[in-house]
Amino acid sequence: MKNMIKSSYVKLQATASSQLGVFQAIADIAVENGIADNADEVVKGLKDREAQSTTGFQDGFAIPHTQSTSITKPAVVIVRTETGIEWESFDNQPAFFFISLLIPEAEAGTTHLQALSALSRTLMDEEKRQQLLDATTTEQLSLLVEKSITPEEAN
Amino acid sequence: MSKKKIVAATGCPTGIAHTFMAAEALKKAAEKLNVEIKVETHGQVGVENALTPQEIKEADGVIIAADKDVNADRFHGKPLVDVPVAKGIRTPEDLINQIINGEASVYRASDYEGSSESNTEDTTTQHDKQTTSGKNWGHTIYKHLMNGVSHMLPFVVGGGVLIAISFLFGIYSADPENEQYNQFAKLLNDVGGLSFSVMVPILAAFIAESISKRPGMVVGFVGGLLADQGGAGFLGGILAGFIAGYIIILLQKLLKKMPHSLNGLKSIFLYPVLGIFLIGIIMTPIIVPLTGLNEGLMSFLESVQSTNPLLLGLIVGAMCGFDMGGPFNKAAYVTGTLLLSEGNLYFMAGVSAACIAPPLIIAFATVIFRKYFTKEERNAGAVNFILGSTHITEGAIPFAAKNPVVVLPIIMLGSAIAAILTYMFGVQVPAPHGGFLVLPVVTGAFQWVLSILIGSLVGAFIYGLYRKKAANNQPIKE
Repeated sequence: MKNMIKSSYVKLQATASSQLGVFQAIADIAVENGIADNADEVVKGLKDREAQSTTGFQDGFAIPHTQSTSITKPAVVIVRTETGIEWESFDNQPAFFFISLLIPEAEAGTTHLQALSALSRTLMDEEKRQQLLDATTTEQLSLLVEKSITPEEAN
Repeated sequence: MSKKKIVAATGCPTGIAHTFMAAEALKKAAEKLNVEIKVETHGQVGVENALTPQEIKEADGVIIAADKDVNADRFHGKPLVDVPVAKGIRTPEDLINQIINGEASVYRASDYEGSSESNTEDTTTQHDKQTTSGKNWGHTIYKHLMNGVSHMLPFVVGGGVLIAISFLFGIYSADPENEQYNQFAKLLNDVGGLSFSVMVPILAAFIAESISKRPGMVVGFVGGLLADQGGAGFLGGILAGFIAGYIIILLQKLLKKMPHSLNGLKSIFLYPVLGIFLIGIIMTPIIVPLTGLNEGLMSFLESVQSTNPLLLGLIVGAMCGFDMGGPFNKAAYVTGTLLLSEGNLYFMAGVSAACIAPPLIIAFATVIFRKYFTKEERNAGAVNFILGSTHITEGAIPFAAKNPVVVLPIIMLGSAIAAILTYMFGVQVPAPHGGFLVLPVVTGAFQWVLSILIGSLVGAFIYGLYRKKAANNQPIKE
């Protein structure tokens, strides 16, 4: 599970100011780190998923995710923006903390998927969300996420 | 007041995030409201934490928070709250309160057949039986058949392996007259043999069960027994299963006019009595020609086996390698096990060889061409040595799934070579499973292993060369 999140997958103080900007930031990180080979495909995938139903939930968190052929390895990419962005969240608050799940189309093993679902569960826990919000460095954040997707820690 | 019990099912189209968030939210809310809850998740990885019929029965209400089908039929007759998955995440407490306060309306599945006893059915059975029958006959028949096959297999494997172990004590160890006699071996042989002997009835029972649930299962089982004892073998069993299933459908139609209050009488009295009577009437006259057909098929396979091992090996190898544990593989495998029960030990040898080869192809390729596989793949490759040696073909699937169009033909070729050589050497394998564990009872063990190794190595080289080419001759960097 270790390789699903690295500090280089995390971007704090991103300048994106629209949904598309956030998707672009996620896709760029993915391509730079060899998670995906085509940024446009990733953006399109995230957009399509968002169109089905919103991925925003509450307290500024959203989890845009997609499964695409251009994604070559499963990964978690985190983008935190300076300004809040309209995301149709449940609490009608703008989102600024984006935890993106990127999954290859032909993901045969289920372990990665289970890890990602463990992460989703974690986000329902207020305390864990606060920990994520309190993290100030990319290392801290990637460690927190790694902890939550490691099977022993997940519940 | 005792604690309220609620069951829930969550699901979303991608099945990665919201399914699980809703499940978590419902659990937390239930804890807060002091309600017992069990949440089934329909995610990308499949259904997890599945609800049992018992749990559904005992629940005070059902919450569905899903944007996809979660088999709502089984909640027939329960108070039900059905909302999109987002509501499950956002307002879980409201949903639970609706159940507690009795505001939820009772769910009536529109196409629900049968009476209350159906609530205890196995939830894994297909629920869409009749709604699809008009649309796609081929698929429906296939589905019923596979339900029978998949219920039969554990009996075959369990019984077969016990019999195989008994052979380890000596091939005549179960015969009290023989000097090899061993009491424990006889026990193994008897128990295994009994498990083996219900194979055809179970096949028929669960073909019928797939068509018309439990009433069909009863009639199918009896039909299968009739076919089996009459000597009509598995072909008779398959036919009996389908006839039995549709006898019940017919009876259900004919008895539809009966008052609702007599539903209990239908399932415990009318369906079994009339159904078993009808299957007896129908099966008895057709058992004779079926027996002939069955014997004909067996002897045909036997003759192909001796006159044309190349053709038989090619067919068997290709079938086993094509879907590795799927229906084609199973068809060959089932034929092998059934022939085994008829005393033909040659056919199974080829099937086993072809089933063992695919994981070994992968395993050898990851060793010989290690530079062109990732570390993860090499680890999985090592496990495939074990899987292959114990006849678990499925180990090769993850590798094949990455590029089936190229990898499957390679595997089929390797499997076919293993099977062809096995038939040419005239190897006999008396056990339907177990891989190399049953070597002590194999006649021609050395030739058998040799055949499998040759097939595996040929496949491994071609697969390895393909990986090398796919990587542009550049070793994969970690």
